[in-house]
Amino acid sequence: MPEAVSLLYQFGTNAAFLLLSALGLIVILGMMNIINLAHGEFMMLGAYAATASVQRGVPFPLAVLIAAVAVGLFGVVIERLIVRRFYGRELGALVVTWGISLILGQGALLLFGPFMPPIAIPGGAVALGDYSFSVYWLFLIVLCGVLLAALAFVYRATRFGLQARAAMQNARMARALGIRVDRIYMATFALGAALAGLSGALLAPTTSIAPFMGQQFVAPAFITVVVGGGASVIGGALGSSGLLSLVQTPVAFLFGTFSGTLALLLTALVVIRLLPGGVSSIGRYFTRRSLAAAR
Amino acid sequence: MSDGDALLRAEGLCKRFGGVVAAQSIDFALRRGELRCVIGPNGAGKSTFFSLLCGIQRPDAGRIVFDGRDITRLKPFQRVRLGIGLTFQTNRAFHAMTVAENLETARRGGAAGDDVHFQTALASFGLAAQLERPASALPHHELQWLEICMALRRGPLLLLLDEPTAGMSPAETARTAEVLTALAADGLAIAVVEHDIAFVRQVAQTVTVLHQGAVFAEGSFAEVTARDDVRRIYLGHVHEAAA
Amino acid sequence: MSVAAASRAAPRGSGLARLLNGPHDIGRTPGAWAVLAAGLASFLVYPHWATAFQATNVAYYLLNIPMALGLSLLWGYGGVLSFGQVAFFAVAGYVYGIVAGNLPDAPWGTWLGVVSGLGASAALAAVFGYFIFYARVAAWIVPILTLVLALLLSTFLGLTAGSMWTVGQVPLGGYNGMTGIPALQVGTLTFQDYAFYYLTVGVVVLCYIGLRAWVNAHRGQVLMAIREDTLRTELLGYDVRREQLRAFVLAATLAGVSGLLYVQWGNYITPSVTGLQQAALPVVWVAVGGRDSLLAVAICTFLLNQLSYVLSSAGNQYALVIIGALLVAVMMFAPEGIVVTLARRTWRRRR
Ligand SMILES: Nc1ncnc2c1ncn2[C@@H]1O[C@H](COP(=O)(O)OP(=O)(O)OP(=O)(O)O)[C@@H](O)[C@H]1O
Ligand SMILES: [Mg+2]
Repeated sequence: MPEAVSLLYQFGTNAAFLLLSALGLIVILGMMNIINLAHGEFMMLGAYAATASVQRGVPFPLAVLIAAVAVGLFGVVIERLIVRRFYGRELGALVVTWGISLILGQGALLLFGPFMPPIAIPGGAVALGDYSFSVYWLFLIVLCGVLLAALAFVYRATRFGLQARAAMQNARMARALGIRVDRIYMATFALGAALAGLSGALLAPTTSIAPFMGQQFVAPAFITVVVGGGASVIGGALGSSGLLSLVQTPVAFLFGTFSGTLALLLTALVVIRLLPGGVSSIGRYFTRRSLAAAR
Repeated sequence: MSDGDALLRAEGLCKRFGGVVAAQSIDFALRRGELRCVIGPNGAGKSTFFSLLCGIQRPDAGRIVFDGRDITRLKPFQRVRLGIGLTFQTNRAFHAMTVAENLETARRGGAAGDDVHFQTALASFGLAAQLERPASALPHHELQWLEICMALRRGPLLLLLDEPTAGMSPAETARTAEVLTALAADGLAIAVVEHDIAFVRQVAQTVTVLHQGAVFAEGSFAEVTARDDVRRIYLGHVHEAAA
Repeated sequence: MSVAAASRAAPRGSGLARLLNGPHDIGRTPGAWAVLAAGLASFLVYPHWATAFQATNVAYYLLNIPMALGLSLLWGYGGVLSFGQVAFFAVAGYVYGIVAGNLPDAPWGTWLGVVSGLGASAALAAVFGYFIFYARVAAWIVPILTLVLALLLSTFLGLTAGSMWTVGQVPLGGYNGMTGIPALQVGTLTFQDYAFYYLTVGVVVLCYIGLRAWVNAHRGQVLMAIREDTLRTELLGYDVRREQLRAFVLAATLAGVSGLLYVQWGNYITPSVTGLQQAALPVVWVAVGGRDSLLAVAICTFLLNQLSYVLSSAGNQYALVIIGALLVAVMMFAPEGIVVTLARRTWRRRR
């Protein structure tokens, strides 16, 4: 029994890590068809902002919120100055955001130096049999569910969500209906950036905080996005992180962390071979969003 | 259409896009040397029908037999290699290339058949003198002709043309009709989606009317245009074309 | 012109000279060819005035050109972007090191290393590319997955410390990498110093000439047709997946060529050559030069490698910031690439 719980805990932890790493990326991709390669650096900025706040005596939960808002605002700046010019040019956007990521990583090193003091993991551990589970990770797992529910609410029940979905399906038509698509894109990018900042801050206590820490999120985050696909944000995020964790947990347990990550890549290759649109494209039929461009 | 030796036979083709039914159980047969016009109001499913035939879209149900083979599951390039040539509703010749490069790219797309139809078309459309011009410098009607020549380059048995004369002057349209008629007389099977009633009158042996994704009527030009129900669904376009 | 002849013959014949002067690169006027010839001549006579150390440095600036040309072919001409060219670079280098290092006494040992290194790069690209291109994924997935491939390879190579990871008599060396990699040999000639310099110049020129002919020949034309309109190309009877895979494997092999030259240069290789920062560099060289011109990419790769070398050997910490800013600025203000933009301006003014 404790073994089963432990396995479930491992599974949940991995899935939560993948989901947190990828969520901001998926939001931006799903709505704007743009991949933000500086995503890892946005997470790094979130971690830095949270650490700096905690150092100044701000309580951790508040520090996480500050980080999300700060990185969200930073996202607005980047979107207005740069990314805005690359709508409709997915490859150009990829390349330019990579340039941004280089500047941010090295810039953080130059500005803040190579080390940041770690944040202690909040909460203790609970024991069950011979196993102990981190309360913080349990909290993160629950929080992932809350975040997804909140996103679902935003998309389904708010005016922004409605307009965003309209813009996503047919930008021209949405514009003709008087929706300010430009604004929607800006807000979406800000939301994605804020989620990256939030994740970076939330994961900060679990990792060492350094200028190039963003790199560790690149492989898991991007694989999660590829497996999820862009057809549906919530379905993609949930399905993809769940499926990947299902593969990663046993492989990493038996053969080590690297093999776990390698298994993620192999899974991604197999999934795209079978479902080029990712797991979220299974639901495409129901959302009535045709991806067939050819006419 | 009961002849057993049809070059192309589609049976019960269905295709839905989410809630839109773009094709519902289309039955269609075409003989060698036949020139068929497919007409129907906007959104009737004409382009969808063609993309099902050449494999751009997979049908949800139904079957396509071409030259004695079931091609329903084949990829587009495989169907092209078996002898289907297609032009799109919007011109998609390679604008960055010269006319000759366009034709050369078309020529080497796979095992080649007989190119007499191509030679006829190239000469009749007067493109042979323009080989070194960039495609982007051609006027619209010549671009359309170029794309037809590209589709003919490798000697297909069947040519599918989606609104080839859209945007052409009456004289250019008539020229197109003349050339297509000659090609069909020479044994090529051609299906043309057209809105231009003058064109349809000039070329068609048989006319198929699509409406809401299904074959609504089929027969000679006179038969079909005499039918009241056809006139009703198609009236708008008849007026447009006459005006 | 008779119809039959006009439509049968390829528009520009297929002799090498005609292919080279085809429309798909900058520098086609007699003047441009003269400048190119002069450039090549100065590279050939340069060692006369240079020390072996200086010549080796210049070879270092040149040796990434094949990898950059491959990416230019893939991205600029084919519209397929890869962020993981360094993975193929590293595979070729490591495999060469393993094979050549295990055959120190065989006269053909190093050449077997070359063949295996390139073969390994091509094979990895073929398998990986099969999954990607035969799935017909969206355009953004290719760069993402190739980047992940490069990063995982780097992580894996970093884990290969210790005797467990010794292949034959060659330790892979973990983070410290593989050292003492033997240089290419023919008879008594070892390709070091000046010989290495001339080898590099020769390989780079060959790669450039070959690719320039390739993009102007039929296969290159098809690649550009796919970039312009994938569906139209498929409906002319081309198997688009296959054409893209072919270009991907060719580009990976060219990255392998650079990897082989790299291990000749320093006789070592470390996992960092396929890390995130190195992975960005080929993209920078190609984007800044002008991705749809092989010549521009070659020139830019040479200059930027020199710049990085100068910056990093001066201990300048801003190197990455400068490179990143350059990339952002070019993508925003000169998306055709700096070299291409300059070349087109000059050409226009002369006309
Ligand atoms: N890829 C697609 N995704 C979603 N709906 C589509 C797609 N292609 C076609 N449709 C829909 O299917 C229906 C038939 O379209 P189709 O283009 O086949 O009509 P058509 O007869 O060619 O019209 P037109 O005369 O305007 O060219 C239309 O309602 C169209 O909106
Ligand atoms: Mg149509």
